[in-house]
Formats: sequence, C-alpha cells, structure tokens
Amino acid sequence: MVRTLLYVAGGVLLGLVIHLIVILTLPRVAPNQAYLQIAATESLNAIQPLPVPAPGAPNPLWLDPDLTYAVCRLDLTNGPGELTGTLPLAFWSVAVYDHAGTVLYSTTNRDGIGQKLDLGVFDPAQTRLLAEQKIDIAPGLLIVEARTDDVFVVVRLAASHPSMRDRYQAQLKRLACRNITI
Amino acid sequence: MRFVLNLALMLVIALVVGFGLSWYALTDGRLFGALQSGPWTTWTQAGSPSPDPYTRAYITRHAALQLGQAEGLQLVAATDSDGRALDRACRYRVDGKTPTATFWTLVPVDAKGASIARPDGPQGFHSTRVARANDGSMQLYISRTLSPLNWLEVVGDGPFALVLSLYDTAIFSAVGATETATLPSIIREGC
Repeated sequence: MVRTLLYVAGGVLLGLVIHLIVILTLPRVAPNQAYLQIAATESLNAIQPLPVPAPGAPNPLWLDPDLTYAVCRLDLTNGPGELTGTLPLAFWSVAVYDHAGTVLYSTTNRDGIGQKLDLGVFDPAQTRLLAEQKIDIAPGLLIVEARTDDVFVVVRLAASHPSMRDRYQAQLKRLACRNITI
Repeated sequence: MRFVLNLALMLVIALVVGFGLSWYALTDGRLFGALQSGPWTTWTQAGSPSPDPYTRAYITRHAALQLGQAEGLQLVAATDSDGRALDRACRYRVDGKTPTATFWTLVPVDAKGASIARPDGPQGFHSTRVARANDGSMQLYISRTLSPLNWLEVVGDGPFALVLSLYDTAIFSAVGATETATLPSIIREGC
C-alpha cells in the first residue's frame, strides 16, 4: 500500500514536471496563429487594412467590430522600420508585436502624440548604432526597440460613428510603412 | 507484475495531472495568470512586453491580437453573476458601472469570436451610445426578444460570451486598482 502511494506521489510530481514543460515549450513549438494570419496578408513594408469579419463569421483574431484596423509587417534585417502618417482626430492606438504575438510596445493618441504618428522600430544592433549617432533619423521619431527582426504593427482607430468608418479606413491606408535607409 | 501496474498507474497520473493542469491553466486560468472579478475574467499581462510563462502560453493558444497595456484591457464573461453559463435563449441585464476608460465596447460573441448580434444591426454596445441613469449607471439588455432601455438583439442558439473591451484604462494596472475596479454584474432575467 505504501509503495503504491509512493508511485501515486511520483506520478503527481512527474505530472507537475510535464505541466511546466508544456507551459514553457508551447510558445516555442506552436507558431502564433495571429502572426501567421498577418504574415499571409501582403503587409510586408505596406499598410494593409485588417477587415473585421462579418457578423456571424469566425473572428480568430478577436477583432472589435467597433474599431477599424490596419496592419504592417516590418523586416528589420533590411534596416530599421518606420510607420508614419497623420491620423484623424479620434481615438487611435498603435501596438508593435513580435512573431510570438507579444506586444513589445503600445501607445495611444491620448499620450500626447496628437494626430501625427511617427514610429521607428529598431532591433538591438540598430539601437546601438542609433545611440552612437551612426544612424540619422528624423527628429521626433518615437523609437521602439524590438527583440526580433520580424515584427508587425497594428493601428486601431475608433470611429466616433459607424458612418465615418470608410473615411477612416482610407486615412489608415495613407500611412507609410517602410524600412529607413541608413 | 505489481511493479508494472504501479508504473502504469504512475504514468497515467502523470499524464492526467500534466496535461489536465496545462489545459486548465490555459482555459480557466484563475489559479495561474488570469484574474477574475465577478463573472469577468482577464489576463492582465496579455498586453505586457514581458508576460509571465502562463500568459505567454495563453497568448499562443488564444492567438488573438491582444490589446497592449497602454491601449486597454479586454475582459470576457462566459457566465452570469450567479455562475450559470450564458445562453442565447435567456435575457440578460448587464447592470452597473464600468471602470474609467476613454471608451468601451461590449460585444456578445460565440466560441469562435464571431459576433452573435443581429447581422443588420449594431454588433455591440458602445459607451458613447448608451442611455444611463443620473448616477452614471447603466442597464444593458441582451436578448433575442424585445427588451427595454439599451437593447442588443442576438440571434441563434447556444452558449455565448460577453467581451468587454476597455480602451485607455488604468484598471488592474496600479497598486490597489483591483479594489477600486467596478465591473457591471450580469443578471439572468428569464429564459
């Protein structure tokens, strides 16, 4: 009986080890479906609207139907990335994600940015060059350091009325998403 | 023979505990990274640049575009305030106040995240388009049948969840913020 209880305790301990291995390895072995979906769009160095699925249609990215979205993927191996442009006088936010779906940086226009979006995304080596003043950038560029070279940026725009959505979508398309030449 | 049986028992227990606990951690998650307040559940670190391992695994499994910490917070309720699963056959009243935010949206969704609101109508409630009482509280009705005040018509059958997205909010992000957070209750009025 005692021996059986020891095996049970051993099973529980082994189970805890399996649990920890599953939790720690899942983000490494399973690709992030959100990233794969974004990567499937033609959004490399180009701003692409991210349509909110129609009512009743699957919404794997869990997009808010009240918001207008645009996405842009940046490959930092070709140089630092930037997303620039002017956005409407409405609530908007911007978030930089890595390929695992982790939000590396986010901000909103409520943080004193106003209507002008000037976001620069740099990898650690480029940030070092920037600190050594070996890269020239436009003044006022909001600098974000990314851990990886493959990132995507999502802009969320809240139309104050649904009828303004098309106009806001057009304004989102005018954002420039590209690599900075150094 | 006894040794083999004991070994088999140990392996079965290890697999059940290991994978069962992992499944629970990434679905309910209350004992791990998720925070529950009444019927509302949220992963407070989902928008963080350095989430804990449980939140990181949840982000992989959920595969949604998480709101960044500066953007806001998304809360999900799959049950009413009495713990019963939300069912489209019933009428629900979302009653109370919401935490301070620039604006919020409340959308009823199915298991795939699809809005279950009437297709040719609004897909959810928006904080700027709801009627409130003098004290700022609100009563939002979600049902298939006509309801008073703020009403969102839903279609179909089966379970659903409510997604409350708070934009530009400080809820759960400061010391003591959990105590001051006020979230509306979800009351089942009839089926």
